[in-house]
Amino acid sequence: MAVTDGITIIHGPDGCAHHTTSLLHALQVDHDRLFSPIILSSSLTESEIIFGGEEALGKAIRSAVARKPGLICVLTSCVSAAIGDDVQSVCNSSHCPDIIVVPTGGFLGGGFSEGVEQALLALSVLGGSGSEPDGSVTLIGEKNLEYEVDAHYRELSRLLSLLGIHIRLRFIRNVSTAALSQLGSGSLNILRDHSLEEVGESFRRRFGTPYIPSFPVGFSGTLRFLEQVGEQLGIDSRQAVKTERENQEQLIGNFRDLRGANVSFYGLSSSALPLSEELIQRFDLRPGTAGFTCSIPDPLPVGTAGLSRMLHRWRRVCRA
Amino acid sequence: MMKQIALYGKGGIGKSTTSANISAALSDMGLDILQIGCDPKRDSTRMLMQGRLIPTVMDQVRERGDRSIALEDVVFSGYGGVRCVEAGGPEPGVGCAGRGIIATFQILERLGALHGDVIVYDVLGDVVCGGFAMPMREGYAQEIYLVTSGELMSLYAANNICKAIKRLSGRSRGICRLGGVIGNGKNLDSEEELISRFAERIGSTMVQFVPRSPVVQRAELNKKTVIEFDPGSSQAGVYRHLAAKIMENTRLDIPEPLEMEDLEALAYEFITN
Repeated sequence: MAVTDGITIIHGPDGCAHHTTSLLHALQVDHDRLFSPIILSSSLTESEIIFGGEEALGKAIRSAVARKPGLICVLTSCVSAAIGDDVQSVCNSSHCPDIIVVPTGGFLGGGFSEGVEQALLALSVLGGSGSEPDGSVTLIGEKNLEYEVDAHYRELSRLLSLLGIHIRLRFIRNVSTAALSQLGSGSLNILRDHSLEEVGESFRRRFGTPYIPSFPVGFSGTLRFLEQVGEQLGIDSRQAVKTERENQEQLIGNFRDLRGANVSFYGLSSSALPLSEELIQRFDLRPGTAGFTCSIPDPLPVGTAGLSRMLHRWRRVCRA
Repeated sequence: MMKQIALYGKGGIGKSTTSANISAALSDMGLDILQIGCDPKRDSTRMLMQGRLIPTVMDQVRERGDRSIALEDVVFSGYGGVRCVEAGGPEPGVGCAGRGIIATFQILERLGALHGDVIVYDVLGDVVCGGFAMPMREGYAQEIYLVTSGELMSLYAANNICKAIKRLSGRSRGICRLGGVIGNGKNLDSEEELISRFAERIGSTMVQFVPRSPVVQRAELNKKTVIEFDPGSSQAGVYRHLAAKIMENTRLDIPEPLEMEDLEALAYEFITN
């Protein structure tokens, strides 16, 4: 769930809303949750395609307003974009202050990543009204559909606590509409991954907030991440790096049974190559076609804790 | 065998006037005629209906939904028993008029309205999207007639429609062909010759030149076709002649549209000479 008190309206045929709802429902069940975000459909049919869908959208907005949400997000669909419905005007005339249009007409180009980017940029209009930069960190673009999204958050919190820093805002995961105003109040933005660099740049220009382009990956990458955060915030990171290095060495020691193992990497993406090389070197692995088959997850494991979970999976495969 | 024809041409060039007079003339020959106005402006059949703007198919869909529409809600009997239908469409500036034409055809098919000796489709000026090409598709009009004056922009629009005919005729199940060009005079010099030459250049022929005549406006002010208003006039004779030629026509061509420069050069030749 992204905005906890928000309602999403998909301005299109019911099938468009159904597709999204069933995807989210399946993921929630997979995560042992029974909570799904509220998604309404403007229920366009052929009649609305011919005569225009603006009235149907107005009706859906009124229905959403009756539920008293903190925020209404209106997503366009291919068909509403193709017939040229003036979605922004309908939203403007709804007299609902917290209503945001996210242009998501699929045929206009782009895919999932561009949709995430559009959503983050659209919702950023609610930011900028908080206090001056306060030394805290804002996470940008956590992947709400990612299985380990909250495990990544806990790892980031742990790493930043080594520097005495806390995460003030998760933009956008499990936050209220009111909390979104804090965007721009943090002293540093940490982007989920490199695909969000345009968003990071946009926020840097608008709010003056510097950013780190990705969550940390790999042993050395995690230590470098601590150094980068320290540099950006003017904090001496040497003690934090030392503590984390000891933590990593202990972890590597805990998995010494993997040392020197014959391994073959399965389905290795190009982005995982540097991490695979580091793991080969740290554990003195012998890659080839023989040995146990190990995989590096996509998205890549985050921080030292992410590596620990992956190594546990490797060990289970190795011992099977 | 039922004959299905469609009239295309630039907006305001006189397609509805020509269509209505052809339908009236054909009904005078004792034929069963269905005229379908495929334009949200809904005024194709007005002169056949004594000035009445009949309820459109899309009006009915808007008011009661497409499943509860009956034949008598959308087909109205006009001059000489010509059955008149208006597709209608959304208000200007909203929705998708092309989809409205497609929906209209589906509804008329379902109601069994598409029968008779001749169906005349009077289509919006420009084939702006697939919806307005619907009358050219399989199962509908095989013969397309282009209505044009000698004005360059009118010839340009006619030439553009040739592109649509050529494209659709090239499909494996494409049956539409160009039946010919109908010249609708605007009192320009050498206009008949220019339109005739244009027709030849695109690989077709001018089936009839309809000269400009004040009787057309008088008839429309009296809410009638020329055929009904002044059947003895020479203009009525022209329309009757055109209707007869269309019924006799067996020449159906795949047109070869002109390049813009060639079209301009053709028009320029007639302006300067």
